[in-house]
Amino acid sequence: MVRALCKEMKMNKLVMFYARECPHCNNMLPLVDKLEKEEGIKFERLEVWHDEKNADLMRSYRPVIAPKCGGQLKTPTFFNTETNDVLCGEVEYKKLKKWAMKK
Amino acid sequence: MKKYWRCFVCNDLHYGLKPPEICPTCKAKNAFVEISSDESQKIASATRIEFNKEKFLEAIEKLSEKNEFQVNPDKEKVKMLLDGLFNNEKGHGLKYCPCRLITKDFKEDLLLVCPCNFLIHDTYKEKGECWCGLFVRR
Repeated sequence: MVRALCKEMKMNKLVMFYARECPHCNNMLPLVDKLEKEEGIKFERLEVWHDEKNADLMRSYRPVIAPKCGGQLKTPTFFNTETNDVLCGEVEYKKLKKWAMKK
Repeated sequence: MKKYWRCFVCNDLHYGLKPPEICPTCKAKNAFVEISSDESQKIASATRIEFNKEKFLEAIEKLSEKNEFQVNPDKEKVKMLLDGLFNNEKGHGLKYCPCRLITKDFKEDLLLVCPCNFLIHDTYKEKGECWCGLFVRR
């Protein structure tokens, strides 16, 4: 169902749910930019506190995301719509890269 | 279930399982009577208190004074978080954590109102800070 929704929205398979006033997200955004440039991959950046559509989308993934993020919907959350793989919070570049490049 | 209580001497309000034995405001003993939520809201609305970012910061600094945590000394980070909290209050009704998303289940979302009970969270136990980083261990 999640995959179908993403396909319908023509979403990239790598998603970053972030919040505009979240310091961790703001620290991660330049790392995402760097990773995109270095590896030629693309993340869909979805702001969730000022865009209700994005918030609803993140909430729709709650059964997949929350168990891997301490039971809540936290930002930043990195989500692979194809594999349902989740990475939560502010992490080092190396960890983000490893997660994003995982097949 | 928590209930509303009113001091019959000074109209102090209390929300909890049991009323205080001594009114913290007028010191009257055994003065609290149970009231309805409507009545408590009417009494509370008679005193209008504006709360801006500076006042909120003062309040959380005061809260931190006698605790093992403090407001993050990183002023830029605190400014960003306060902007988020007040934007969330304006747009979503309460000062929800800017680094977590509400579920739209009001009772569940009360857990995300800042300051939340971060002392029990893994991030505080492991890293010494709440999820958003507004509070850090001294």
